[in-house]
Amino acid sequence: MNTRERHNLAYALAGLFVLAFFAWTLNLIFSIQDRWAESNDITAMDKDVHALFDPWRNLNRPGNDVLENYEVAVQKRALERYLEEYRQARGRLDTDSHSGLDLRDYFVAMDSAATDMESLARRVLDLAEEREALRIAGAEPARISAAETEAATTMARMDQAFQSGLAAISDMDRLLDQRLRDLDAARRAGVGSLYLIVIVVLVSSALSLMLLRRTAKQGVALRSGSERLNAIVNNVVDGIVTVDEQGSIESLNRTAEKIFGISAASVEGRNFRSLIQPEDRDLYETSKFRERAEPVAKFYELAGMRRDGSEFAMELEGTRILVEGRPMIIHLVRDVSERKRSAERLQLAATMFENTSEGIMITDSAGRLQSTNPAFTAMTGFTADEVAGQNPRILQSGLQSREYYDAMWRSIGETGQWQGEIINRRKNGEAYTQWLNINAVKDDSGQVSHYVGVMFDISELKASERMKDEFIATVSHELRTPLTAIHGSLSLLENGVTAGSPEKSAELIRIAKSNSQRLVRLIDDILGIAKIESEKTKFHLRTLNLNELANEAADANRDYAKQYGVSLHVEPGPNDARVIGDKDRLVQVLTNLLSNAVKHSPEEGEITLQVVRSDGHWRVCVIDNGPGVPESFRGEIFKKFAQADATDRRRLGGTGLGLSISKAIIDRLGGHMGFESDPGVRTCFYFDLPVMQQRWSGQYGPGRDVASVGVVAGAE
Amino acid sequence: MRSETTVQSGGLHRILYVEDDADIREIVRMSLEMVGRYTVAACESCADALQVVDDFRPDLLLLDVMMPDMDGPSTLRKLRRRDSAVDAPAVFITAKVQAGDMAQYKQLGAFDVIVKPFDPMALPERIGQIWQSYREGEYGDAG
Repeated sequence: MNTRERHNLAYALAGLFVLAFFAWTLNLIFSIQDRWAESNDITAMDKDVHALFDPWRNLNRPGNDVLENYEVAVQKRALERYLEEYRQARGRLDTDSHSGLDLRDYFVAMDSAATDMESLARRVLDLAEEREALRIAGAEPARISAAETEAATTMARMDQAFQSGLAAISDMDRLLDQRLRDLDAARRAGVGSLYLIVIVVLVSSALSLMLLRRTAKQGVALRSGSERLNAIVNNVVDGIVTVDEQGSIESLNRTAEKIFGISAASVEGRNFRSLIQPEDRDLYETSKFRERAEPVAKFYELAGMRRDGSEFAMELEGTRILVEGRPMIIHLVRDVSERKRSAERLQLAATMFENTSEGIMITDSAGRLQSTNPAFTAMTGFTADEVAGQNPRILQSGLQSREYYDAMWRSIGETGQWQGEIINRRKNGEAYTQWLNINAVKDDSGQVSHYVGVMFDISELKASERMKDEFIATVSHELRTPLTAIHGSLSLLENGVTAGSPEKSAELIRIAKSNSQRLVRLIDDILGIAKIESEKTKFHLRTLNLNELANEAADANRDYAKQYGVSLHVEPGPNDARVIGDKDRLVQVLTNLLSNAVKHSPEEGEITLQVVRSDGHWRVCVIDNGPGVPESFRGEIFKKFAQADATDRRRLGGTGLGLSISKAIIDRLGGHMGFESDPGVRTCFYFDLPVMQQRWSGQYGPGRDVASVGVVAGAE
Repeated sequence: MRSETTVQSGGLHRILYVEDDADIREIVRMSLEMVGRYTVAACESCADALQVVDDFRPDLLLLDVMMPDMDGPSTLRKLRRRDSAVDAPAVFITAKVQAGDMAQYKQLGAFDVIVKPFDPMALPERIGQIWQSYREGEYGDAG
């Protein structure tokens, strides 16, 4: 049995079932209708039977009243009325049988009882009339008594007839009530079944619709070659290419023509491979939809090739089907370059978000943080999870006024944008200054959907600005002091104030001269660091023996140290402690370190100049036993213009540039400068220079200019 | 370190001057003594000033601001605790004058400020003017 025959059998069985189902439903509906009608009949009849009770009781009244009421004529009239009422009620009764409910016996019993009642009642009233006549005529009591006795007997017979009639009516009433209850139950059961049927019909309708749709779809697909199908195929957004089992193109739709930039006629019969970039052709050959014998749909992403050879990202789907017994593959082709490009753009944006050094925070329109990047975390110390859903005000330091933030939000409200400096607090409590740029992002309807804040940490910039301001103030002060002395002494001399005293004049001249020198030193230092930093200074590189260098520097500074009551010692290193460097510059560095050490040594302090080998470097240390470097100043010490204690500046005569200059020199010689400080015990400032390679030490003797090796440019 | 020369000049006679820079100190001393004819006690530090102030009984205090250990304002606070200098007007002499500094100096107790560099020929007259305005203010308060 093939599929079609199986389907037909299934349809036939389903049809039969539906027919039987409908017959049963109809039957049910009719029977409910019948019961409804019968129930109405019986209700009506029951009402009529009920209506019999009162007239029937009335018929018995003459028997009750006859001996007390002597108005026999009145009673007779009443009896006629009662009889009439009864006949009417009786006449309304339908004596036909009702759906197997046989009431004939009850009617017979009731009618015969009624006939008896009528004749007995008349007889009782006649006897009452006769007795009355006898009493009025003064007849013998025996005769009166006889009439009364007969009347009593007759009334007893009336009672019997009344009871049997009443029993017939009551029985009928009971039977009818019972029947009504039965009908009611049957009707309810029928209605329940109807509900069930409605549900069954609804469910089966839905199922049928689904089946019909599927069938309809299959119908469309199977009606190949039709115009309708052609129209569909040519207008779908996907390119459709059909190929045979060998991959030869049989047809392609208009979209496919557009994607590949070819006409259908030009490629029919060619292999689909030719529409794929060469490097991806093998992938196509081994793709699943070319191997499997069953219908299978699979997606592949391959590099497609347009007619002009250009490449595009192609999504290829293949479905293997049998057409008239012949295997065929339908390819759906999509040019996803645009989609890929936008995906790449999104990826790029995401990568930027993740990797940029600017902190980014995105809030919803209510200002709740939705998204923050790693730079935000690095800046604030808060992870994305910690701040999610929070208001960015948790970052505030409280160092800026309410009005400042109000102005910020006013600007965002009016222009959608704000930028400025914000002082925030990191998670660890540290306050920092950031440049914050806030932009409101609007959705298509013009409503603000998000706020994006981009933040740059400018605290270091601020600190260096502050340091520069301070430096300028310091330099200004330092320049004014010698200028005051120079100007003052010259002014006094000029005005002859000291004319009478050659010693005083000489003193003024000395003051003017020494302050000029001080001014020159200061200007030299400022220009010196600028030049070294801008790499304009020429270095004269030579092979240098560090021991000789240390001795030379110590000799040059010994007198200066003596002024402070400080002694200087040299602890030389091995004889091969040689480096390449600029001798004058290195003496400058050592002089600077020594003068710092002297200035910070206690009276009768000791300074040691040490040359040691340290991990691939030669290290020159200047060690003193002064108060050392305060903990808070250690991070700053090599920064320009930095001095631990600003009021020390004058006394120590420094410009705050000495260590900066030294570090700049050592940096340019490829070395490293640092310090270790154990306050009051041992503070060591040192520089490391690379150990000279053996071949170099032979190649470049003392005095040879080695700038050409390229360590540092600028040799003469 | 200090010298005393007596010259009469409009109620102002004795100036206590504290300056750490020896050269400037010498020039100011010459200016005030030889041009201005004042009596000057020129000291190099706060400690030095505290030693002489009671004997010297200055009419006016002239203080450098930036000095090691004890700067001008601190020196002034110390001197004010001495009866001999409790009401002498203080004048700061400084090279560090930027926006806002002046008000700060006045807040620190300076009656006036002289800015470096100054002309030593004009300095005594300037001090005299400051003294004059101080006396006027004093009489104004009293009267």
